[in-house]
Amino acid sequence: MENYLNLLSHLMLLSSFVLMANKRIRSYIKTFRMQSALIGTTAALIGFESFSSSGRMDVLVVSTVIIALKVIYIPNLLGSTLENIDLKVEKDFFLNIPILVLISCGIVVFSYFSISAVEGINTGIMNVQIVNSISMILMGILFMISRKNAIGQIVGFLVIENGLFVTAMFSTEGMPFIIDMGIFIDIITAVLIMGVMVFKINEKFESADTNKLKNLRG
Amino acid sequence: MAELFYVLLQIGIFVLISPLVSGVIKKVKAMTQKRKGAPVLQLYFDLTKLLKKQAVISDKASWIFKASPYVVFSTAIAASLLIPVTTFVVPGRFSGDIIMLVYLLALGRFFMTLSGLDTGSTFGGMGSSREVMISSLMEPSILVSVFTMGLIAKSTSVYDIMEMMQSGNVSLTHPVFIMIFLALLIITLAETSRIPVDDPATHLELTMVHEAMILEYSGRHLALMELGASIKQLVFITLIVNIFLPHDQLITYTGAMGIILSIAIYILKVVGFSVLMALAEVSTVKFRLFSVPNLAALSFMLSFLGFLQYFVFGR
Amino acid sequence: MTIKYLFQISIGLYVIAGFSAVILSKWHKISNTASNILCMAASVFGIAASIDQLISAQGPVILWKINSSIPLMNFTMTVDNVSSFFILMLSILVFPVSLYSIGYLSHYYGKRNVGLFNTLYSVFILSMILVFTASNTIFFFIAWEIMSVVSYFLVVFESEVEENRRAGTLYIIMTHLGAALMLIGFMIMYSFTNSFALNSDSALIPEFYRNIIFLLLVIGFGTKAGVVPLHIWLPYAHPAAPSNVSALMSGIMIKTAVYGILRFIMIYLGVQNTWWGILILVIGISSALIGVVYAFVENNIKKLLAFSSIENIGIIFIGLGICFIAISTKNETVAALALLASLFHAFNHTIFKGSLFLGAGSIHFSTHTKDMDQLGGLIKKIPIAALFILGGSLSISALVPFNGFIGEWLILQSIFAGIQPGNAGINILFILTVTALALAGALAAGTFIKFFGITFLGLPRSSHASEAQPIPMVMNAASGMLVLLCLVIGIFPAPFIQLISHAAFEITGVSVAVNFKGSFLLTAFPLSVSGNVISPFSSLIIFLLSILAVLLIIRFIGGKYAEKKYGTWDCGFEGLNSRMQYTATGFSKPVKIVFRMLFRPSRDLKITGDDTYHPESMEYIMTTESIFEKYIYDPVLKFTERSSGVIRRKLQTGSIHLYLIYMFAAILAAMLYNRLF
Repeated sequence: MENYLNLLSHLMLLSSFVLMANKRIRSYIKTFRMQSALIGTTAALIGFESFSSSGRMDVLVVSTVIIALKVIYIPNLLGSTLENIDLKVEKDFFLNIPILVLISCGIVVFSYFSISAVEGINTGIMNVQIVNSISMILMGILFMISRKNAIGQIVGFLVIENGLFVTAMFSTEGMPFIIDMGIFIDIITAVLIMGVMVFKINEKFESADTNKLKNLRG
Repeated sequence: MAELFYVLLQIGIFVLISPLVSGVIKKVKAMTQKRKGAPVLQLYFDLTKLLKKQAVISDKASWIFKASPYVVFSTAIAASLLIPVTTFVVPGRFSGDIIMLVYLLALGRFFMTLSGLDTGSTFGGMGSSREVMISSLMEPSILVSVFTMGLIAKSTSVYDIMEMMQSGNVSLTHPVFIMIFLALLIITLAETSRIPVDDPATHLELTMVHEAMILEYSGRHLALMELGASIKQLVFITLIVNIFLPHDQLITYTGAMGIILSIAIYILKVVGFSVLMALAEVSTVKFRLFSVPNLAALSFMLSFLGFLQYFVFGR
Repeated sequence: MTIKYLFQISIGLYVIAGFSAVILSKWHKISNTASNILCMAASVFGIAASIDQLISAQGPVILWKINSSIPLMNFTMTVDNVSSFFILMLSILVFPVSLYSIGYLSHYYGKRNVGLFNTLYSVFILSMILVFTASNTIFFFIAWEIMSVVSYFLVVFESEVEENRRAGTLYIIMTHLGAALMLIGFMIMYSFTNSFALNSDSALIPEFYRNIIFLLLVIGFGTKAGVVPLHIWLPYAHPAAPSNVSALMSGIMIKTAVYGILRFIMIYLGVQNTWWGILILVIGISSALIGVVYAFVENNIKKLLAFSSIENIGIIFIGLGICFIAISTKNETVAALALLASLFHAFNHTIFKGSLFLGAGSIHFSTHTKDMDQLGGLIKKIPIAALFILGGSLSISALVPFNGFIGEWLILQSIFAGIQPGNAGINILFILTVTALALAGALAAGTFIKFFGITFLGLPRSSHASEAQPIPMVMNAASGMLVLLCLVIGIFPAPFIQLISHAAFEITGVSVAVNFKGSFLLTAFPLSVSGNVISPFSSLIIFLLSILAVLLIIRFIGGKYAEKKYGTWDCGFEGLNSRMQYTATGFSKPVKIVFRMLFRPSRDLKITGDDTYHPESMEYIMTTESIFEKYIYDPVLKFTERSSGVIRRKLQTGSIHLYLIYMFAAILAAMLYNRLF
């Protein structure tokens, strides 16, 4: 069981790297879909475990919601938003991709360095899952920083959220049901609002480059 | 039964004696001005006459206007019950203290000022506005004075304060009593619309306060207002003479004889104090309205210093 | 056990009320009536439950327990006597206010989202119940924030008026400033006790930090209570809200601050230093005096009531201050008495201020104006509302035989008992408190003479007043039942005081000798505190008997009553008009002049035309300035504006990526901190 979880956690981290190295917007969405599928699988695993040991159903429910929401609904939504945007490939980056990947490696090391001091999360041996998921959060932010396209921003935001969710799941073996549901409602609203915003930005500035939002400053 | 006797005695004395006080004051004032003046009992005649007259009511007035005289009168009556004229009749378990006295009189004032506003006349509002200012500024010194007396007697009941003053345990010439006496004197002049604050004899719009509020009254309503005002005046006078000039310790009789003697001396004291008030009144002039705060401050300082004398600087 | 169910039913009904308002929101009338009736039912259960809890000697009742696997996130709703006293106040007020809303909100039908309003209203009530029952600081803080935010929405409900939006903004800023300080206080508590629970051991907190926490909490709660000088939002926010919400805000929301002080400072921290009490007492004195003076000169009926709330919260703080001082000088009886007096005054204030705000709402409903200089003569148009507002005014002016008097009397008695030989400084402070109470009481009476006299008596000053609309019966009934309660408490105070003393007993552990004794007419139901006795009941009897007697005597001497209607004396001019009577501004002018240092009035007389004695037109403008806003808040505001300008240019460039970098750097810094320290 532990091994499967470790494997999944590594795969998730890997998907973040894939995302970071990507520059096609459609493949951002694909990568995000893959990462979410990994998370859904993880949740399902933990859910079966807790169902068989203590009869709790809620993590299983959460995993179905993840699959429905993050693997199917949100990527489709983003895909249809993308239809309306001309730009399909990210062009000028703040930092180029190799440097970004190197920084991401640094982030993983830094997370390990930092998390190893936290008491209570791991007992004795270092919990590699936590390190991976914290790195995912940080890489999500880095992704948002490095991308100018609005869809990239949304994907980055969703990756941060994925990281947070995984961190919570690994450290608590499933959070209270109500909190999970609250977070999902949060995301769905955020994505809906951002989807609309991207559409509007595109309409107004004739591009989905968020750097142009600077002009909004009064 | 004792309580019932107390209540009837108090109300009887206050209703019967209070017009006399105004009469005495007017007579003394006239004498100092080398006039003959109205008879001492003039207010009694006025009141009976007013009761028989038809009331003229403003067509702008509401029920407040008609209710006010009754409220003013009955709060004065209720207040009079809180200040025993003699310690020979024990108030028993009749309840009320010196703080309640202050708030009871405030109830009467509340309705009196409202009735000033009720008719929509120019003068009524003026009187009410001024009355509110004067009474607000006087309130702190009233409460601090009575509070200090209460603290010395370790009770807020007037009866207990009177007993304390009669007991001989305290020296009547202690500075605290002199200061509180002076403070209460100023308060009495202000609360009963006497000269440095208000002039009861004038109907000039620049000066009148109390008269402005009751300007629209006539007939039985005016009679009740006047009687209420004079009972209130007697309440303050009784408070002063019974606290600062205790006399019941001098009487050795007990029973009915003691009560009669005590009340006789009480009436003499009241008349004497009225003469004093009249003399004080003729020897000063009316203050400008906005000098009244200075008077209030003086009276507050006196009562506050009295408190300091007793409780802070030691006895 | 039954107490628990009663509380749960009450809370459940509030929730249903909130949902039903939304679900039925298409049909304005049905949704409004249904949700308010549900709220009324809920409040009845709330009253029953809290009285039950107060008189039963049992300990705290746990209503709900939400456990979670996340540390520090265990929420428990607990009701002890203190909580149930506050819930009692809330429920007593909610019943008439909901009844009132049924009529009052009818002017929103078809114009506004009444369903939304009622949902917010229910959530507002629920959030206050949560504040009173939260058993750890995190939960308390969340409930507190919900209360603040929901009340903000209610304040700006009529958001098309510019003034309301400004009032709302000021309110939300001030209340969050207070909440922030409060949160810092809670965090300091946590850092020493390692627990957010309210029953953790406060002895672990060192002396110095205790003082810091005290100051933070006093400022935090003081902002909500609206004590001077943190009051500036209150006179804007309370009048801006619809009147039923104003009644709740003034009646109970500002008392959540009193609850906070009791819960966190008195019960949790414990009073050790005398200067704590002195600080609270001084805050109370200044609030009482400054509040009432501003109330006196105010011409807007709802602002006047809001300023009067500042005065009354000042009186409540005076009681608390005396209690604090008495605890720190080990004078338990005085402490218990002062606390009881303070709570009793809070209870009374809830009732009479509720009825007055409802009355002010009725006036606004009927005349569409809140300006006293536009009103006048309403007693003939809306006589029932006038009667109830008169009752409320008498009560708030602390006049016999209403409940306001009993509260003031108890506070004065506690000061009376508190002045003891020795300790000169405290004695002087106490006698100055008496002075302040006397002045505030007299000015409050003056304020309400003005309020009632100018609004209801005399001649109508504008068409608003002369064309006043009738008021629905439910609205009159709502304020009427509160006034009736004022009168009942005023005449028979003892049972109510005993009820409240259960709550006070839980805090001080000393029961004070408040008893009712005697059986026959004149001594019936006296109230006795350490030997000093009053009996409002016998005074009332004397009152009524003397009126009866005098009527008989007059009948005997003067014969049958005869009256003649005639015009008021108009100085010989042709007919009296409303411009000849005193205005609200004129009425308060003497006091304004006496307290000119608080107002700094300036006057400006403009005369057009050549001749000074026969001008073409004259214009007289009198302006006053609010010294608090000018000398405390404006400088702070200017500084904030200047420094935020700098920040905006340098740091806030508008680039999303820069902001993301800030976040990234912050997270990295936090992780580094975690590793290294």
